Amino acid sequence: MEIVRLRALRGPNLWGRHTMIEALINCTEDECQITNLAGFETRLRSRFPQMGPLIAGGHNEPLTLAHALEVVALGLQAAAGCPVTFSRTVQSPEKGTYITVVEYSEEAVGKLAFDHAMKLCQAAREDRMFDLNAALHELNELDEDLRLGPSTGSIVNAAVARNIPFRRMTEGSMVQLGWGSKQKRIQAAETSHTSAIAESIAQDKDLTKTLLYSAGVPVPQGRVVTNLKDALAAAEWIKGPVVVKPRDGNQGKGVAVNLQTAEQITAAFEVAYKISDEVIVERFLPGHDFRLLVVGNELVAAARRDPPYVIGDGQHTIRQLVDVINSDPLRGDGHATSLSKIRLDAIGLATLEEQKMTPESVPPRGVRINLRKNANLSTGGTATDVTDDVHPDMAASAVAAAHMVGLDICGVDVVCDSVYRSLQEQGGGIVEVNAAPGLRMHLSPSYGKGRPVGEAIIRQMFAPGDNGRIPVVAVSGTNGKTTTIRLTAHLIAQTGKRIGMTTTDGVYANGRLIDTGDCSGPRSARNVLGHPDVDAAVLETARGGVLREGLGFDRCDVAVITNIGEGDHLGMNFINTAAELAAVKRVIVQNVSAEGTAVLNAADPLVARMARYCTGNVTFFAAQSAAHPVMAKHRAQGHRVIYRENGEIIAAQGKAMFRLPLKDIPLTDGGQIGFQVENVMAAVGAAWALDIPWENIVAGLASFMSDAETVPGRFNRFDYKGATLIADYGHNPDAIRALADTIHDMPAKRRSVVISGAGDRRDDDIRRQTRILGNVFDYVVLYEDACQRGRSEGEVVKLLREGLDEAHQVKEIDEIKGEFIAIDKALSKLEPGDICLILVDQVEEALAHIQKRVAEAG
Amino acid sequence: MSHKTIKIIDIKSIRGPNMWTYVPVLEAWVDIGDLEDFPSDKIPGLPERLVGWLPGLMEHRCSYEEYGGFVRRLHEGTWPAHIMEHVTLELLSLAGVPGGFGRAREADRRSVYKVIVHNLHDEVTRLALTTGRDLIMAAIEDKPFDVAAAVEELKDLAEDRLLGPSTGSIVNAAMERKIPTMRLAENNLVQLGYGSKQRRIWTAETDQTSAIAETISRDKDLTKSLLKACGVPVPEGVVVETADDAWEAAEDIGLPVVVKPSDGNHGRGVFTNLMTEAEVRTAFSVAVDEGSSVIVERFIPGNEHRLLVVGGKMVAAARGDFAFVKGDGQSTIEQLIETQINSSPSRGPAEENTLNFVRVDSAVRLELERQGLNAQSVPAAGHDVLIQRNGNVSIDVTDEVHPEVAHAVALAARVVGLDVAGIDLVAEDISKPLAEQRGAIVEVNAGPGLLMHLRPSAGTPRPVGNAIVDYLFPPGEDFNLPIVGIAGSRGKTLVAQLIASLLQLTSMNVGLACSKGMYFNQRQLDDRHCADWESGHRLMLNRQVDVAIIENDNRGILNDGLPYERCTIGVVTNLDPTDTVPECAINDAEGIYKVMRSQIDVVLPNGAGILNADDAEVADMARLCDGEVIFFSRFGDAACLAEHLAKNGRAVFSRDGQIVLARGNDVQPLMAINSIPLLQLRNDALESILAAVAVGVAMNLSREIMSTGIQTFSHL
Repeated sequence: MEIVRLRALRGPNLWGRHTMIEALINCTEDECQITNLAGFETRLRSRFPQMGPLIAGGHNEPLTLAHALEVVALGLQAAAGCPVTFSRTVQSPEKGTYITVVEYSEEAVGKLAFDHAMKLCQAAREDRMFDLNAALHELNELDEDLRLGPSTGSIVNAAVARNIPFRRMTEGSMVQLGWGSKQKRIQAAETSHTSAIAESIAQDKDLTKTLLYSAGVPVPQGRVVTNLKDALAAAEWIKGPVVVKPRDGNQGKGVAVNLQTAEQITAAFEVAYKISDEVIVERFLPGHDFRLLVVGNELVAAARRDPPYVIGDGQHTIRQLVDVINSDPLRGDGHATSLSKIRLDAIGLATLEEQKMTPESVPPRGVRINLRKNANLSTGGTATDVTDDVHPDMAASAVAAAHMVGLDICGVDVVCDSVYRSLQEQGGGIVEVNAAPGLRMHLSPSYGKGRPVGEAIIRQMFAPGDNGRIPVVAVSGTNGKTTTIRLTAHLIAQTGKRIGMTTTDGVYANGRLIDTGDCSGPRSARNVLGHPDVDAAVLETARGGVLREGLGFDRCDVAVITNIGEGDHLGMNFINTAAELAAVKRVIVQNVSAEGTAVLNAADPLVARMARYCTGNVTFFAAQSAAHPVMAKHRAQGHRVIYRENGEIIAAQGKAMFRLPLKDIPLTDGGQIGFQVENVMAAVGAAWALDIPWENIVAGLASFMSDAETVPGRFNRFDYKGATLIADYGHNPDAIRALADTIHDMPAKRRSVVISGAGDRRDDDIRRQTRILGNVFDYVVLYEDACQRGRSEGEVVKLLREGLDEAHQVKEIDEIKGEFIAIDKALSKLEPGDICLILVDQVEEALAHIQKRVAEAG
Repeated sequence: MSHKTIKIIDIKSIRGPNMWTYVPVLEAWVDIGDLEDFPSDKIPGLPERLVGWLPGLMEHRCSYEEYGGFVRRLHEGTWPAHIMEHVTLELLSLAGVPGGFGRAREADRRSVYKVIVHNLHDEVTRLALTTGRDLIMAAIEDKPFDVAAAVEELKDLAEDRLLGPSTGSIVNAAMERKIPTMRLAENNLVQLGYGSKQRRIWTAETDQTSAIAETISRDKDLTKSLLKACGVPVPEGVVVETADDAWEAAEDIGLPVVVKPSDGNHGRGVFTNLMTEAEVRTAFSVAVDEGSSVIVERFIPGNEHRLLVVGGKMVAAARGDFAFVKGDGQSTIEQLIETQINSSPSRGPAEENTLNFVRVDSAVRLELERQGLNAQSVPAAGHDVLIQRNGNVSIDVTDEVHPEVAHAVALAARVVGLDVAGIDLVAEDISKPLAEQRGAIVEVNAGPGLLMHLRPSAGTPRPVGNAIVDYLFPPGEDFNLPIVGIAGSRGKTLVAQLIASLLQLTSMNVGLACSKGMYFNQRQLDDRHCADWESGHRLMLNRQVDVAIIENDNRGILNDGLPYERCTIGVVTNLDPTDTVPECAINDAEGIYKVMRSQIDVVLPNGAGILNADDAEVADMARLCDGEVIFFSRFGDAACLAEHLAKNGRAVFSRDGQIVLARGNDVQPLMAINSIPLLQLRNDALESILAAVAVGVAMNLSREIMSTGIQTFSHL
């Protein structure tokens, strides 16, 4: 067994909506039936007992080694703690080759799982050892490393529950929520609204205290000192127990509390001074540590934090007691679990020493020994949820503190006896405010209820009803995509929205070309959806990207399929028939949102059949009368249809009709250019689905120009010495038939065509192009393509010529090397009143060449 | 034994508008002892020695309002306190502290004077005062005094303590727009505006500057990928871990390349235009020490530019040039750098210097190596040697920037998420679109320095501080927090509480600081005496306060000044000639008047002064008020009131058992006096009620709010 190719499908794809690894697997003949491998499954299960059942594609299909690999790759991830459930193996059209897809939650973990699954299968075949625990540990470690931390994860989950799309911006915890101009960002418990200055203020405890004091929020009095003498003087002035801590510090490093004697203060000062030149001496507030979480103007959670401790039993040493506590599986090493292990490190030892203890001391039964003074979860402390107990005045103080510092999300550290009385009443105070507070203690406190703080943060960032999405239109099909996309974008732009658009020619954002080349894949889609100047997106979704990586978005509002026809590029990537091609293009239809719409060509049976895959609404269009059975039925059911009747495009739903006279749509040349009429209907269907007002649609249709500037290579017309030149990028039988039909209906003295076939198509597809043209055009110029895409010299021209053999209209044929020379040749033979179709290959260069010749001709 | 000394008895820091002036001052009380008998004309050579040490004193116009005015006074005979005022101001001016206000006045006993000088920073001004005293004593005693050293010391302290030039430019721009400013800390954190109207800046960061955006801007790799995704041209590059990777990446990208740390700053460890494997490896080894990882990227030819984006718009652009030295056939390159580059006045170590000194660091050494030279080489006469390719940004090119370039940098700031950003861009010609010339944005900086735009070495300085202030406070929007300040001898607290009672009926969050404590809406935050500067200041800092009511007593104004620069409404209730403050040498009605008038002096032109028409001294303050005057009166019969109404002025007074609101001849009853419960408890409260209603009138409160607020008042 060999993995020929491994791909990560990062968005909705042919197989489903999950993210998954797709492996192309070659099996030897033996491996195509695992019952041929004696004892394999038993050996496999003995090495990996947790693996699930092997399930073949159908009752009659054999179980292969690929199936075993599939189940193991999924099972390993699941056993390592990844939330994955989906996997599938199918036979490819090639014998012995299988496509296995396995869901992943982290791409790298999924890939590693395939590695281990291969090794495990190998070990089972060869009856060798496999260290399952090591593999699971490695997968688990990698997963913990890569997956979102609990704070970020809780916010992202809350976003997902609100149907807000998200995308990780880094391998760390920075995440984009929402799309385009509506996007926001988070990084752990920071949002794009979190002010950098407010964070700096929160870092400066002294300044924070000044500001809180201004707002009347109780704070411990104290001051900054820079030497021991002053520290002692400050403590003297404060009278009573004090806290000594570094001015710039975090995670409770160097903080010493409840210091009563000069010796204690001296020791604490030395420690703090090592961390910061400036040390704070302030009144010690007796009581417990509480953390109050403020989001916006709301107190959303509160927890009491207790330092780690052990209770003596008169038998065990402190170290043994700690080991017992640490053996609790809830105590992990990282930040992922609700408790952390207690450490007997230098600070712990110092704390014990103050109690005249060492780790080897055996405390008497029932005596509580504190192992630390601060209560941070990361050093073994515990958190107890007290959200429901907080007094309104206490909450008001916390909110005032957050507001004074200027933080939208703020962890307020309070020291007081209890939260059910106001701070003022009990002499408590706010000792610190924290930007980007950890949420773990509220999400999964050691004791008490978890609180939905992620939801509160999302509520603060996105108003009710706002899901951060911008309208997304995905367009696919064999022909007419680019024109449909440009026209749809133009119609939406009539409402003042800034459009992001991906096409095979490049990416546009707010009218600017931001990327060039074939940009019909998921990466370009993601770029548009991440662009801050985009209010709506129209995305060409070509099959290549869908097969390679899946969609660049989770759901779209509108999916448009212009047509499938006979298909194009057949024979590549296991796509041999138009029906198989339709299954790929259908992915956008399958991922229309529940309130969204699929706009489908009813006249194309493969497209019309996609309707049942759509969970949203369907609008049918067809460049024929409403009598088309699919359309008539759809309309009778009260759904939307768009059809052509008496020189008008009619958009109808039930009895309501909107009429768009073709004479007011220059793109269709008064209805003369049939395929443009279809493109207009598709675009109108999309605009209608987005509730673009009809007056905007009418205006947009009237002002849309199909010229070499706006839609290069799509039926661009030029006047050349009284003859008409039409430049088009059409390169498959359907496109060529549409062009031939249109030009056939246009009055002309003589019709000529310049064509080369792209080498990456099947022989017969190339022949059929000229077979169609030869019945319409009088004169054909064949030229050799710039890039032959794998064909030997002269091969393509030979096929093109074969296609002309049976043609009845063609009277003259030329064979030329080079696109420009071919164009010039055709131009040289033009007379006024002729029509010449130039099927351009290198669009930009050829158009520039034609424009140059047109200009020269005056 | 004679006591010819100048003894500083006490120095008071008056932090707000005061009886002397609108700005903060230090008020030093000095005792000149027996020098009382020795004015300057009685000490031979004193004027000459002072002018010799401080020639700038000639510029002090003093009482004669002419050039040399003060020196003329020196010759005619003036006393040390007055000299101290001028010498202190001159020292401050020499130390680069912007000029200001000074006064010297006799106190209430022989040989004791008050010397008052404007005060930007306590420590700096105190040092100037004591240095001035020492200088004068040296001049009196005809002893040597190292003026230069003293000025240098003062200058160093000022540079260290005063705001840096970038922040300074924003603060000055705010002051030009009459937006109050307050430093919140010893660093560059400044609050602009008061209460809920405030904004904060920290150098060129604002309170809207997103922390996540800053994180992104510090990660060059992430920044670049985000920019690239949005079509902003960036140099393609890769993060590398080892020197081998670095060279491999350089080969992939194509030479020349740039090697730099991924998270460094200040251009440290950045090497550009590397052409060979050896150069790439050397650069890697230096860069790797600066940050966690190293980036190799395509070298973009052209000049470095810094473009400043504020609130989505490009507001300034500066270009950098290569630094060269010209050989003279004798000096080493190191020497030439000193004489030809570092001698420029724009270079220096301080923040106020536009450019840093050029040092022969690793980057310079590499550049020289490429020319086959080192720091000790002696280039031939007339031979140009390239020293630095970057870091020399200071030629203003704002007007040349192509609109597409301006769009690209604004987009870059938006993509990263920064409201204020400094964009580093390399291009041959900033007046052409980037795509045409393969220019690229190389970095996006949060909290950019502004100096290169404020003081370019060539071209027009750009008022970027104003751009930032206009972004924070869009012109046309009212940025003044409504503040009601109350002064007077009696009844102030009640007036303040009554006003709070009225305003609490509106949707505003009301802050109140009075002698009965500090309140936020109904909640008491402090129960001590809060009719002082500190409490008023706390309200100014409080972002939740929508309207502030502040009682100011005479002692507070004298010792600390008012807690706000200007206010919307100033109230003076009455003036009792026995309300003296002997310890501040305020012993009579005239003195009290001077103190209280401060409250009316600071009323904004669109605000109002609320004055008691029944008290002639108070009513007289009407002439000092920049805003409208609204009189209140218990009797309604004062001559000044009739005159005021005759000019269609507004007033509140009692008539026929009613409180009436009047404008000119239009007199409307508000409420019956006997319907007010408060008057049953305190029969002397009518004056305070009238004053509070007058404030309500000034603030356009509805009649319902005013009458309800008065009737339901219950804070006693």
